[in-house]
Amino acid sequence: MNNSPFTWRAGGCHCGGVRFEVALPQVVEAQSCNCSMCAKTGFIHVIVPESRFRITQGAERLSEYTFNTRVAKHLFCAECGVKGFYRPRSNPDGWSVNARCLDSTEGLDLRVEAFDGRNWEAHAADLAHLSKEPA
Amino acid sequence: MTHQLAGHCHCGAVRVMLETQMAAADLPLRACQCSFCRTRGALTTSDPAGHLFVEAAPGAVNRYQFGLRVTDFLLCAECGTYVAAVSEIGGATLGIVNVLGASVPGFEGRTPEPMLYDDETPDQRAARRRDRWMKAQVVEAQPSI
Repeated sequence: MNNSPFTWRAGGCHCGGVRFEVALPQVVEAQSCNCSMCAKTGFIHVIVPESRFRITQGAERLSEYTFNTRVAKHLFCAECGVKGFYRPRSNPDGWSVNARCLDSTEGLDLRVEAFDGRNWEAHAADLAHLSKEPA
Repeated sequence: MTHQLAGHCHCGAVRVMLETQMAAADLPLRACQCSFCRTRGALTTSDPAGHLFVEAAPGAVNRYQFGLRVTDFLLCAECGTYVAAVSEIGGATLGIVNVLGASVPGFEGRTPEPMLYDDETPDQRAARRRDRWMKAQVVEAQPSI
């Protein structure tokens, strides 16, 4: 019997070269950020701990882009440019997965809230709990 | 009055300039629902009477194709940003700009029009783009603006 509250869901970039899986509960807290980077990519953040994310294909196809403090590791497919996930500055111990890149959101209750990334320092601490591993 | 609507990718290596007689507020704002545009929430515009210039450092643009493979989606090789798309139609290069990716000012807060093109034939697609897209030019040079 599977008592896990999480279901592994697959996703990927557009060309199919990079694939990933993320374990999500039925109700998912997500953030739409207005910072200079996220606004350009339309990224919808689903932040999870390390143990609930895995790259299943194409890690070697990822390009890394950093700026400002260079803590966040922005990863995108070198072929199609799509950013399915990355290491966020707010949660460098976990991952932020792009809800737009899930194969399906069927059965998911995705609750997207605005995150004021233009004033990142004032708000980033609110996200820290999202990448904590269960005790 | 000629408006010059300028934008660029995140790292600045790829820049766009839309020359148009229309103010940004009067230009269309489209949310294409294709599989590529949905992964990035792309919001595009074009003025058929205007002109799109894409300026990029040599080697700074990746061109991505899918589907009918008649369109180049212009991506910054450094930061991954999707800034514009161009296609050769009837002997001319026509294009659109992703105002979200290129952060072209003047479109904030608007509700985009969702666009579904899945049922188009290749001829219908070319005809639509001939009507709505704008003359475009991709120049590889060190950014000057």
